Amino acid sequence: MRTLTLYDYKRRILRVLVHIQQHLDEPLPLEELAEVACFSAYHFHRVFKGMVGESVKEHLRRLRLERAASQLKLGSASVIDIALGAGYDSHEAFTRSFKAAFGTAPSQFRLARRVEAARVPSGVHYRERMKMRFRTLRRGGSMKVEIKRLKPMRVAFMRHVGPYGEVGKTWEAFLTVMGKDGYLGGNTMMLGICHDDPEVTPPAKLRYDACLTVDESFSPNGDIGVQTVAGGDYAMTTHTGPYNHLGRTYAEFMGQWLPRSGRELSNAPCFEVYLNDPQSTPPEELLTDIYAPLQKQLQVARR
Amino acid sequence: MATSEKLDLYKENKKEYAATSKPALIEMHQATYLSISGEGAPGGTAFSDAIGALYGVAFTIKMTRKFAGKRDYAVCKLEALWPNLNCEAAPDKEHWTWDLMIRTPEFITQKHLRQAIETLLKRRKGTDVQRVELREIKEGLCVQALHVGPYENEGKTIAAMRAFGEKQKMRFTGPHHEVYLSDPRRVAPSKLKTILREPLMKAEE
Repeated sequence: MRTLTLYDYKRRILRVLVHIQQHLDEPLPLEELAEVACFSAYHFHRVFKGMVGESVKEHLRRLRLERAASQLKLGSASVIDIALGAGYDSHEAFTRSFKAAFGTAPSQFRLARRVEAARVPSGVHYRERMKMRFRTLRRGGSMKVEIKRLKPMRVAFMRHVGPYGEVGKTWEAFLTVMGKDGYLGGNTMMLGICHDDPEVTPPAKLRYDACLTVDESFSPNGDIGVQTVAGGDYAMTTHTGPYNHLGRTYAEFMGQWLPRSGRELSNAPCFEVYLNDPQSTPPEELLTDIYAPLQKQLQVARR
Repeated sequence: MATSEKLDLYKENKKEYAATSKPALIEMHQATYLSISGEGAPGGTAFSDAIGALYGVAFTIKMTRKFAGKRDYAVCKLEALWPNLNCEAAPDKEHWTWDLMIRTPEFITQKHLRQAIETLLKRRKGTDVQRVELREIKEGLCVQALHVGPYENEGKTIAAMRAFGEKQKMRFTGPHHEVYLSDPRRVAPSKLKTILREPLMKAEE
């Protein structure tokens, strides 16, 4: 028996990268890719971004553009057909993206002798032998992570659907109602559960629950529901700084700490615990604990 | 300023909260605080429970007003008075006494306080909330400095403040006052920022 290793994580991400290159013509939804990598759909995207250095969306867009470039050079298809094949619905949109990547318009690119796309840090390019360079997986990096065993927590919550930048409004409404009824006393904790990844789900559809720990005496009413945050093992790290920089900490946590941890995330969302009051704390001093749910210590049979 | 705009007492009274590592004289006007006093080591159970009770009351009062559509305000940082610190022979930590305080707008009255305490007792959020009081304090002339670093090292900053006061022929009247700008739960001790304040008056010749 052995525990999950960094090698396992790399192998699983490589499997996804190969799958992407072989199926560039297909829509490649995130759930499908998560399945290829055997990752929980909740976390796959963050692990990918953390290890590869670009999001799945950016990666797909770039590879499709590189393929378009090779078609321009080697084939005789019209620019608009190549644009459609790369997933663009107009000549203009394709030209704009193409220029951004190759520094020249598709028609000029076809005539020019040698123009190459910028190299990316991961080293993964269309139709090249894959020599993957995963992001700085330094042994024992500087990230401080604790494993905590939590009891199940009963929380009252108000759901926010819309851009993350606007969760503050939901929090204000929620805290006002809960606060006037005396639910902010004692050791009440403020939690945020993010059901979607802001880099995947369109802003208008992002679901986020603003939560406060409550005891059995609280019953749901109006916009305020009750749910239980599952107990068990969690990996916890603290993010210091404004809320809109949380993504960076997630990328390091999931993409760099996790693959070296010997652990696997379970199929449940992460949650955040807000330690201070953004009304009286400067953004750069805000503290947020990020909790990622872990599977029971997984043992993989040695083959 | 529109009445709908959020009130921030620290910004409103900027001069009283401006502090650098160099001691300086300031004039503190009358200020209203929610306050709870007790005895025990800082960070101990009695101390932590008191902080929980104080914040519980502060947020319950704020949210009750906000729900009623009254002017919103930010709940200020934790402050504390340390009466023991001025004694010749300071007792050991377990017997330190403290008044933990949160500065509060003057439009908050005893009625708001009573209401909030009742609400919290109904929620069974502990009985410590009954000890929270509303006080007005006028410290007047003070010497003030910003201390950066662990609380244990405050001695140095305090000594500098005392020397500064004595040089100007001032007498310290106490009690020692601290404003906790940083959150000790996660901020590294070497980076903790605390305003230290010592009320004083002209020494008689």
